Amino acid sequence: MLHMKDLTKVYRTHMIETHALRGFDIDVKEGEFVTVTGPSGSGKTTFLNIAGLLEEFDGGDYLLDGVSVKGLSDNERSRLRNEKLGFIFQGFNLIPDLDLFDNVDVPLRYRGFNAAERRRRIEQALTEVGLASRMRHYPAELSGGQQQRVAIARALAGTPRLLLADEPTGNLDSQMARSVMELLEQINTAGTTIIMVTHDPELAMRAQRNVHIIDGRASDLRRGPSLVQPHAAIA
Amino acid sequence: MEIRPIFSALMKSRTGPLLVAVQVAISLAILANALFIVQQRIAVSERPSGVAAERDVGHVYVRPLRKLSHPEVLAEQRREAAVLRGLAGVKAVAWTNQMPLSRSGSSSSVRATAEQVHESAQPSQYFVQPGFIQALGLRLVEGRDMTEADVMESDPEKDAEAIPPGVIVTESLGRALFPNESRFVGRTFYFGLGGEQATRIIGVIERLQTTGAQPGEAGEQSVLEPLRISQPGSHFAIRAEPGQIDRVLQEAAETLRKTAPVPVRTFTRSMEVDRTNRYRNEKALAWMLIAVSALLLLVTVSGIVGMTMLRVAQRRKQIGVRRALGARWRDILRYFVTENLIITTGGIAAGLLLALGLNRLLIAYLGVPRLPLEYLAVGAVALWMLGVAAVYGPAARAAGISPAIATRTA
Amino acid sequence: MFRYYLLLGLRSLRRNPALTALMVVTLAIGVAASVSTLTILHVMSGDPVPSKSRRLLVPLLDVGPRANYSPDRRDPYMTQSTYPDAMNYLRSGPGVRRTALYGVMASIEPARREDPLIDLSGIATTTDYFPMFDVPFRFGSAWSAADDERGARVAVLSKRKAEAIFGSKDPVGQRIRIWDTDFTIVGVVGDWNPVPRYTNLINGSGGYFEGEEQLMVPLKAATDLAAEPNGNVSCSHESAAGWAAFLASECTWIQAWWELASASDRPAAQAWLDAYVAQQQRGGRLERHAPNELFDVMQWMDFLKVVKPDSKLAVWLSIGFLVLCIVNTMGLLLAKFSTRAAEVGVRRALGAGRGAIFRQFLVETTVVGLAGGLLGLALSFASLALIRQQSKDLSAVAHMDWEMLATTFAIAVLASIVAGLLPTWRACQVTPALQLKSQ
Repeated sequence: MLHMKDLTKVYRTHMIETHALRGFDIDVKEGEFVTVTGPSGSGKTTFLNIAGLLEEFDGGDYLLDGVSVKGLSDNERSRLRNEKLGFIFQGFNLIPDLDLFDNVDVPLRYRGFNAAERRRRIEQALTEVGLASRMRHYPAELSGGQQQRVAIARALAGTPRLLLADEPTGNLDSQMARSVMELLEQINTAGTTIIMVTHDPELAMRAQRNVHIIDGRASDLRRGPSLVQPHAAIA
Repeated sequence: MEIRPIFSALMKSRTGPLLVAVQVAISLAILANALFIVQQRIAVSERPSGVAAERDVGHVYVRPLRKLSHPEVLAEQRREAAVLRGLAGVKAVAWTNQMPLSRSGSSSSVRATAEQVHESAQPSQYFVQPGFIQALGLRLVEGRDMTEADVMESDPEKDAEAIPPGVIVTESLGRALFPNESRFVGRTFYFGLGGEQATRIIGVIERLQTTGAQPGEAGEQSVLEPLRISQPGSHFAIRAEPGQIDRVLQEAAETLRKTAPVPVRTFTRSMEVDRTNRYRNEKALAWMLIAVSALLLLVTVSGIVGMTMLRVAQRRKQIGVRRALGARWRDILRYFVTENLIITTGGIAAGLLLALGLNRLLIAYLGVPRLPLEYLAVGAVALWMLGVAAVYGPAARAAGISPAIATRTA
Repeated sequence: MFRYYLLLGLRSLRRNPALTALMVVTLAIGVAASVSTLTILHVMSGDPVPSKSRRLLVPLLDVGPRANYSPDRRDPYMTQSTYPDAMNYLRSGPGVRRTALYGVMASIEPARREDPLIDLSGIATTTDYFPMFDVPFRFGSAWSAADDERGARVAVLSKRKAEAIFGSKDPVGQRIRIWDTDFTIVGVVGDWNPVPRYTNLINGSGGYFEGEEQLMVPLKAATDLAAEPNGNVSCSHESAAGWAAFLASECTWIQAWWELASASDRPAAQAWLDAYVAQQQRGGRLERHAPNELFDVMQWMDFLKVVKPDSKLAVWLSIGFLVLCIVNTMGLLLAKFSTRAAEVGVRRALGAGRGAIFRQFLVETTVVGLAGGLLGLALSFASLALIRQQSKDLSAVAHMDWEMLATTFAIAVLASIVAGLLPTWRACQVTPALQLKSQ
């Protein structure tokens, strides 16, 4: 699904060069739920931005769903984002001017679906997250947890192959966080690949696979339940 | 307060401030030129005509519909003058062929010497008789007024051009004829460009505007020729008791029509109306420019307010942090006012150049005079003050931001 | 997709009504200022007779004395022809029609002494005047060539004046007494109001744009009755006294017009004029040997400076003002769009290409431009109405036509697009990644 090989990303200002990622390798299979952890500044966000085609990289290879994304134009990247990727942000990032229906509508509009198809998908997505009854409410009228559910609905409406989540529970209290997490797990079970960046070790452990990033390099801490034991033994 | 950090903060996000500076520059360029032109037009329209207490003066024109003989015309002129003098509220009546500012009349080229090929000036020719100077309240500054002995009688059917031996000129005409002199009485000059017959200056009046009241010296170049001439139509300049001119003129026309031996055509106009008509276009342009200037300032102020509000909004957090670190209310206020001063000063500097450039264009294409530097100074100061006034509101609001905002994350 | 962008634009504009109103009003007053001054200039410098303007010519000779001639100095008053030249043109000049005209003033004597006089300002001309300038007739017709020849005492009245005197009935055949002589009315002119009044710019009452010829009589009838010119008379030579001497003099006071079959006949007309002048010079006239000039309608209006520099000045300054309004709106849009960087970031992340963002914001600014244009149009009508109050001359030219209506809209939309371009471009530059974290 997502394959990165020897990826590098360097940020340059006129004084300093910062290697955000160096020799970064990762391979995420279809249907996996991968959590990404790491101290701040380790390169988590850079990885997610590159994975989400929001940022370009300097060296190495990145295959998304079997397609190399190196050197794609801005427009092609936009189209790929729209069709294959879904995003969930820590700050929810709903558009305050639009009601829930229109917020979920945003990626569908760029997809070019007709009105009936969009309506069907929006209603279905909002129903899945349990907010179908509040379609005409505005984001400001909802709680944080509800807003994040809308953001998830928005990410799901386009039936993405890969869902990228950046600290989706970071702004939520633990009860809300748990329910959002359950929703994500449900989505994963239904077949969508998920990569989630998180600080929360408890959440990280819930996933079948956790990738830890330090100094721009990835290391798999766990590969499936069977691998838990050796690490635990070491610990 | 240090300017350098404010300046470098400005350079970091410069599009907004740059747009405001551009607005200030355009405003200053247009404002300075517009005010200058307004001032010029108003100055032109406020020039004195030379006629004392103009609001009490008007004129009535009378013309018989039948052709009268030379003696009949002169007799009618005398009778009409007498009739007019008899009206209630009339202080003085004087026969003339034309009136200043009335935009209709005759002029002739004059030259100072017989040999001269080109004219020295093209003065308005007032054919008048003794009493004209008193009736209009013109100021004699040299020589003497005309007397009955100076008056020449002329029948235009017989005399090609009547040139009286002695005439009275305005100071401006005197200077045009004899640029190096300050006294003109006794000097002679010539009418037209071919005539050989000289005429002598017997008196000089300070001022009498021409019928066209052109801008500049030409508008005051007039000559009073003592003539009793049988033109088909007569103008009578009338001075009325204060406040009565409109009534007097109306009665004058009616009385002339009623008492005339043959049907006559009349019209009347007060000098006030003549003046309004003459300067209508100047006034219209001045008002238009004033309106544009006012809108200009309004738009610029709204631009400054908008930009400051944006910059405040962008830096709410930063302001909160500064407040938390001990910045006082007036430090924040001063920050934004200083920032604004830097922007407007930049705009004003560019605006000064732009104003001069615009003035160059106006000089080249539309004959506008050179812009005096005072207008730039006045415009610059006005924009400076407006800038500070405009920034004060949003800056005061910024200064009111609670330091508590620093501790909030989102 | 356009409807979606429009919906988004309207929603965003509604979200911030004060800012939106400020932008619309700013654009509107900028547009109104430049449209009203442009309208005036447009009408002032418009072609009053597009079908003929290149075929109608004014001949102009310099009849001044040799002694004070300097080629670089032009006598500002010498803009008409002498009577002898005008007569020669009428008799044997080039073109398919020729006419000459001068301003006259007359008063109709009432039947009873107590009744008021009716003053008429008009022209003395020839019968070709009417077809040459496409003057329509409401009643009757022009006088005949024979009437011109004889100096018949006949008259044509303007519609307005005829109605004032005779009511709405046909006055043809009625008589009026002017210049102590009875004139028979042969025709009443219909609606005819060229702007500028190019036919009689020099002596028309009411300025270049306003007023009308109320009375038209045969040129010979007027000169026979010694009807003095009501307008400019410029004499550069000494002349003898009396009307006959005046007619024979070198004073210029008549305006001549030639109508050519086609604009391409102009060189021939010039050749005729040069030959005529050479012949006159052999007789001792026209001693300056100055260039013999021909003007077509637009050249003639340009020569007489029908468009005053003030009108151009007003246009320049109001365009400067429009630029200011555009910069101002640009700043406001920049402010408005910069608060939506987060939204752009999200949209980009969700798959909107740069082009999509660009179109979305462009539609929004165009909505502002259209609103500004509509309001600007309303303001233009208001300001033109205000300008019409200023003077009679301005009241004739301060009128909107379809061309200016379209121009207004073009200016408004163009202004908003120019104003929106930079902010829109900036909005497109928002990179999606930066906005991913918290707001």
